[in-house]
Amino acid sequence: MKPKILWYFGRETGYGLWRNGWMTLASVSTVAISLFVLAFFIVLSVNLNHVAGVLESEVEVRVFIHQHVPRTSEIRLMNEAKHWPDIRHITFFTKTQAARQLQSEFPDQKDLLQLIDQSNPLFDGYDVYTRQATQIPQVANHFRSKKIVESVVYEGLVAKRIDRVTEVVRAVGWGIEALLALATLSIISNTIRLAVFARRREIGVMKLVGATDWFIRWPFVMEGMVLGLVGAVAADVLVNYGYRWAIGAAVSAMPFWPVAPLSMVLDHTIWVTIATGLVIGALGSLVAVRRFLRV
Amino acid sequence: MIRLEHVDKRYGNGHMALSGVDLVIRRGEFVFIVGPSGSGKSSLIRLLYREELPTTGDVYIDQFHLTRMRRSQVPRLRRQLGVVFQDVKLLPQRSVAQNVAFAMEVVGASSRDIAKRVPAVLELVGLARRRESFPHQLSGGEQQRLGIARALVNNPVYLIADEPTGNLDPDTAGEIMRLFLEINRRGATVIMATHARDLVNQVQRRVVAIEQGRIVRDELKGAYGHEA
Ligand SMILES: Nc1ncnc2c1ncn2[C@@H]1O[C@H](COP(=O)(O)OP(=O)(O)O)[C@@H](O)[C@H]1O
Ligand SMILES: [Mg+2]
Repeated sequence: MKPKILWYFGRETGYGLWRNGWMTLASVSTVAISLFVLAFFIVLSVNLNHVAGVLESEVEVRVFIHQHVPRTSEIRLMNEAKHWPDIRHITFFTKTQAARQLQSEFPDQKDLLQLIDQSNPLFDGYDVYTRQATQIPQVANHFRSKKIVESVVYEGLVAKRIDRVTEVVRAVGWGIEALLALATLSIISNTIRLAVFARRREIGVMKLVGATDWFIRWPFVMEGMVLGLVGAVAADVLVNYGYRWAIGAAVSAMPFWPVAPLSMVLDHTIWVTIATGLVIGALGSLVAVRRFLRV
Repeated sequence: MIRLEHVDKRYGNGHMALSGVDLVIRRGEFVFIVGPSGSGKSSLIRLLYREELPTTGDVYIDQFHLTRMRRSQVPRLRRQLGVVFQDVKLLPQRSVAQNVAFAMEVVGASSRDIAKRVPAVLELVGLARRRESFPHQLSGGEQQRLGIARALVNNPVYLIADEPTGNLDPDTAGEIMRLFLEINRRGATVIMATHARDLVNQVQRRVVAIEQGRIVRDELKGAYGHEA
């Protein structure tokens, strides 16, 4: 676009927003609230993913191998398992290493430690990490079918539950957000409609002297997008301060709970809120202008 | 060339404003559409810039078939036309110069062209010194001339005016008539609806008379032999 045209559109946009002061304020607030709710659900789901991720990085599946299996067979199975598609990571431990870990985890259990020192009853085995929590049972069964495997233990259930909760949160979030998006669309559209209505004479004359529909639409579309953008920025400022506060509260109430860091949350919320604000603003304006272009 | 074929116009309320209108206007002509108030002059004019469509019949202007064209093409048609509306349609919040300039902005003219062209047109209609005034500060005649300036600014092929001398005193009306003759002399086709009999008789141009929506007379008196 030529600078002249840009200047024209910019001037018209600013003029329109200024003239409808209260309506502009009302619609920016609505956009901000609605995008804040959107961001709230994003924050929840980012946190759930974060927790699930932390839990998943603990050992997921522990595979124990029969006594007296030669070391070469143990290594062969591990190397084979490395190529299974579900497996993210696998490490081998000997029963000596297992004993040492036990000793460090329970330094006060003198009886136990003595027992282990005399004749180590533990097994060699693998620590296995899958790509997704849902793959755990499959991987466990696969190991059970191997002859040298004595037993398989896993505790992937927590991670799986969290994945399920995340899905529910997302679904609820989308439902609520769809309703809010409609409300936001309608208030933006009404705000723009006021601006269009105030200038309907001018629009009529413009059309009669040969303006194209898009020439007339652009300033209003930009007006709607400015409303959406300002609302989004307001929502992001709220999220920023709100989440700082929430982190503070969470840390003092549940010190061991793995809270997603602020930057991780903002990485997700900023782009989603801004994109949503712009799209809703543009759509709302298009709806508002349509009726007035029939000249 | 403008061509109307078997045009009827019936409004939503059932009123028959035009019936069986056939009319051809060639490039370079100066045509008066005359008739008493309510005879259908404005209805005919509105068909030309496609504010209205005929109920039946066809309207053609150059390569445009107005009754068949797509909505998106309408701006291209209107850019060939300069229209002086019966109610002038000035924008009250814009100055005289802005009222003219915006017709150029709308069609995407460069600011250099606008800066050059607007003063020239205001000069032509005699409003050069009212450039910064607003429409409500102008007299009726000056408002009409502003409407004419806006219609002229994009160098239209056809200048279409609906009672541009409507409520003006005879002197002012005569001035505006001279302006249209001058514009016609410079090459634009002029179509003017009016019921100012005296002026029409003075200038001896083609006259199309309408009564109750029908063309009752079409005299080519003075159609050639250009001279004001
Ligand atoms: N938009 C309209 N709806 C209904 N009737 C109309 C409309 N415009 C004009 N008319 C009627 O059509 C007839 C012709 O009107 P018009 O074309 O304005 O005549 P003129 O310009 O010669 O005075 C009049 O009787 C008028 O009342
Ligand atoms: Mg009329």
